[in-house]
Amino acid sequence: MDRISLTLKVWRQKGPSEPGRLVSYELKDISTHMSFLEMLDVLNEQLIHKGEEPVEFDNDCREGICGMCSLVINGLPHGPQKSTATCQLHMRKFRDGETITIEPFRAKGFPIIKDLVVDRSAFDRIIQAGGYVSMNAGGAPDANNIPIAKEIADEAMDAAACIGCGACVAACPNASASLFTAAKISQLALLPQGHPERKRRARAMVAQMDAEGFGDCSNHAECEAVCPKNISILHIARMKREYLRTIFTA
Amino acid sequence: MKLDAKIPDYPIQDIWDKHKFELKLVNPANKRKYNIIVVGTGLAGASAAASLAELGYNIKNFCIQDSPRRAHSIAAQGGINAAKNYPNDGDSIWRLFYDTVKGGDYRSREANVYRLAQVSNNIIDQCVAQGVPFAREYGGLLANRSFGGAQVSRTFYARGQTGQQLLLGAYSSLMRQVKLGKVKIFARREMLELVLVDGKARGIVVRNLVDGKIERYEADAVVLATGGYGNVYYLSTNAKNSNVTASWRCHKKGAAFANPCFTQIHPTCIPVSGDYQSKLTLMSESLRNDGRVWVPKKKGDTRRPSEIPEDERDYYLERKYPSFGNLVPRDVASRNAKYVCDEGRGVGETGLAVYLDFADAIKRLGRKAIEDKYGNLFEMYERITGDNPYETPMRIYPAVHYTMGGLWVDYNLMSTIPGLFVLGEANFSDHGANRLGASALMQGLADGYFIIPYTIGNYLTSEELPKIDTDHAAFSQAETEVDERVKKLLSIDGKKTVTEIHRELGKIMWDYVGMSRTKEGLEKALEEIPKLREEFWQNVKIPADANNLNKNLEFAGRVADFLELAELMARDALNREESCGGHFREEHQTEEGEAKRNDKEFSYVAAWEYTGDGKTPKLHKEPLEFKYVKLTQRSYK
Amino acid sequence: MSPFLSSLWSSVGKKAMMGLTGLLMIGFLVEHLIGNLLLVFAEPATFNRYAHALTSMGGVLIVAEWILIIILAAHVVSAISVSLGKMRARPEGYKKKASAGPPSRKSVSSMTMIYTGIVLFIFLILHLNTFKYGPNYTTEVDGVVMRDLYKLVYEVFAQPGYTVGYVVIMTLLGFHLRHGFWSAFQSLGLNHPNYYKTLNTLGIFVALLLAFGFIGIPIWIYLSS
Repeated sequence: MDRISLTLKVWRQKGPSEPGRLVSYELKDISTHMSFLEMLDVLNEQLIHKGEEPVEFDNDCREGICGMCSLVINGLPHGPQKSTATCQLHMRKFRDGETITIEPFRAKGFPIIKDLVVDRSAFDRIIQAGGYVSMNAGGAPDANNIPIAKEIADEAMDAAACIGCGACVAACPNASASLFTAAKISQLALLPQGHPERKRRARAMVAQMDAEGFGDCSNHAECEAVCPKNISILHIARMKREYLRTIFTA
Repeated sequence: MKLDAKIPDYPIQDIWDKHKFELKLVNPANKRKYNIIVVGTGLAGASAAASLAELGYNIKNFCIQDSPRRAHSIAAQGGINAAKNYPNDGDSIWRLFYDTVKGGDYRSREANVYRLAQVSNNIIDQCVAQGVPFAREYGGLLANRSFGGAQVSRTFYARGQTGQQLLLGAYSSLMRQVKLGKVKIFARREMLELVLVDGKARGIVVRNLVDGKIERYEADAVVLATGGYGNVYYLSTNAKNSNVTASWRCHKKGAAFANPCFTQIHPTCIPVSGDYQSKLTLMSESLRNDGRVWVPKKKGDTRRPSEIPEDERDYYLERKYPSFGNLVPRDVASRNAKYVCDEGRGVGETGLAVYLDFADAIKRLGRKAIEDKYGNLFEMYERITGDNPYETPMRIYPAVHYTMGGLWVDYNLMSTIPGLFVLGEANFSDHGANRLGASALMQGLADGYFIIPYTIGNYLTSEELPKIDTDHAAFSQAETEVDERVKKLLSIDGKKTVTEIHRELGKIMWDYVGMSRTKEGLEKALEEIPKLREEFWQNVKIPADANNLNKNLEFAGRVADFLELAELMARDALNREESCGGHFREEHQTEEGEAKRNDKEFSYVAAWEYTGDGKTPKLHKEPLEFKYVKLTQRSYK
Repeated sequence: MSPFLSSLWSSVGKKAMMGLTGLLMIGFLVEHLIGNLLLVFAEPATFNRYAHALTSMGGVLIVAEWILIIILAAHVVSAISVSLGKMRARPEGYKKKASAGPPSRKSVSSMTMIYTGIVLFIFLILHLNTFKYGPNYTTEVDGVVMRDLYKLVYEVFAQPGYTVGYVVIMTLLGFHLRHGFWSAFQSLGLNHPNYYKTLNTLGIFVALLLAFGFIGIPIWIYLSS
């Protein structure tokens, strides 16, 4: 089928402290070649023509890398397709006549700004706590000075692929930010460039993650299953090693 | 307005070193007394903000997204060039310099490009030290690949996510400076006006996109790193929020806009599938290494590709360019796709696509080999189109990808407004008329890490910069302008949505100021654009109000600026009576249909000065001299 | 709070503590199960002698009991904290919620840890009340007068209610361990690509072993009495 009709139930919320609710919209004649966000564009164009306020949702690159899109679609962050951010989800994954519920990422650490838009600055603050190598421009040695085994570099890249979307938090039954935090800690723990600061980094980033009000990790691994970049919870295990090492060694 | 590129007169190898020595330094203790505004947090913006903060300056850094990490540099796939010569294949700073000038079809400054090649190596060192996980060989050393038709392997990469990794590296340095208190991030803020005091850039006025409040920020200098303007075409590979507004506001305040017509069209993108299309997705051009491009010989052939026999297919690139075949440069590949579609031989529902066929490669190398090479790209293609490229040919079509033009800057990256520096894609400086693959990342980071930290200090010490605060009349005036503009936009309450008008603008631009341009077409565009702009200001409909998150209002402001920029682009394209790089004028081609430069008359940078609303902008020419690179005509036969 | 304590009370520390104490308690359960097998495979006197030997250890027993209490307390306190944290971390829930499927490990078992935990905790008190602090029958083995725990156990499990109750609760123990075992290794940072799968399989094995072990004994007693 090329064209489908849908019922959308969209979370509408005027502002951070306002109450929100699900509002139903009927959409007809939706091409299955549309992306999910293009389907929402169509809804918004219709709302504007009717003189109603369009649904606000974050999006930018629309090619699955910027991490800005942040919808929970039928109870799943980024929707039903694995390894796919909302922006690359297409309508052919939905049936004619289907009802689709769209909610924002929900977590204390991600307060809602409006409708489906949330504030994810907590992630920036977690990185600020130590998600870097303390080096200034100009002081770097030659890039090939330190050989790094291909396997190690590849594993670091697996972790570094994180797009910072926050789906891990949104999917986690505990609203934990462990996968996000672990991805950075793990990347820099794998690479020799990150070693001088590894202890300080693990302590500070975990402390910041906790301070932002995210929950604890109960190893459900929902995060890994919704991660558009398939980041493994094994990186969380590495984060825990890194952290526990700071408790028991000087 | 006088254009002075301020390039010191030394042998090209010595210019940057000697210039660095001659630039005045700021005493370390004094650096903390200076405030600098950096707008944008992409490769150029984040690297500049971090590096300047490392030196001790106080930085205010602005971005429109919710986090600095989301800037569109993040979407760059392929890689970053550097003249490391690790593969021992004969690369050098000189060769990178030479290739880049030639690739830019001789419309860039030699001195700038040479400097770019010089610092390219430092960038790789810097990024590796930051923990960027570049691809490596089994021995543990960095891997390189050949990219975009280069004869040497000089491209460093991190899977298909090089831009992301480089940006996250710069972002991490930036976050470190935030923690140290040297940088303050202002996210979800859109710069809507530049503030000039005594003719110098001293601040900006922004709209807080969350609560709609207009805010004022002062500084001793303003650094603009706000990217390119490809979204003027509505459909492009740019992010939805990429826009020209910050640059355009500066242009209207006196910064010359250089070579606006130089845009790059990328040949391998996933084609448009319908009217609702909101953006185009790039597929790495490495696909052309193994894919064969073809269309049916017959017009309007609606058979499935598998039903079209071999002798009814036209492998037009192989036919027209026997020696380069499917690997002709981006602009040639793009233009030829347009030609066959214009002839009515395009494929797919819209007829605006050509096949990129891997059947032969799969037969020759086996499915496994193709999967190893392009597995993730094939997956992405299938995710978006629902077609399996192992079984049916991909459909591709060119899309707007990068804009070489931008605000004019001198060798110090300063615009024609004192104190306004422009970095990265937002400036015009290094790519001439055509950017080579894997050079954009290099330029953004070169500007941010290794050029602006030196040149801005010279400005700060050379100029009288009395303390001002945001109560200054210039700020009030700028805020009033912004306020009025927002009010005006909201008061129109017409019938068309912002997107509808933007889409119309995109169509005009694509049809007349796109891959292949003619005098008639450009003149037509110059008629149509003002009409559409008129309609915009009479008939646009923006819902809701200004005191809240209102993305339509944001877009409206950006489209309003695109509607003005579009006219300048058409004007520039009309003025440039030659074909060069990404700018192809049908009147100016060789007998073989290649771009034909006119070095005698057009070997210059066209820098346009804004002269007032509705007035014809004034053209200033910065002549380009080539002392080191020999000018030749391209040929790919 | 000292840096050590605050680290221990961080999200990572808490869960490591929970995992470590969980593993220690699994160790205790294994020992407990082996002891209990004497109920099935040995003479009453052997079982009673074993129980008597344990209760006659004096100071050592007291220390051991306190260690167990501390382990349990640490497990319980961190569990409560994680559960409260979970509620705080998402004040407003989803109107519609789904599970993502593999590679997620979310399961009935993982989602009910706090509930199975609470039941097991209450059970533990009742269990101690039934046996440790239950009726004090005595018997004489090799001339030594000692508690006849064997008789008590057989008396208790002759009642269908008790037996059914134990079967149900030990099933819950199995669920608790199904997620708890491998999860403990993950929380302690001991998971690794090379043995992620093995740990999971082992988790199922441990859960089945302990659950069926502890279910089997009351059923065997019930049927044999």
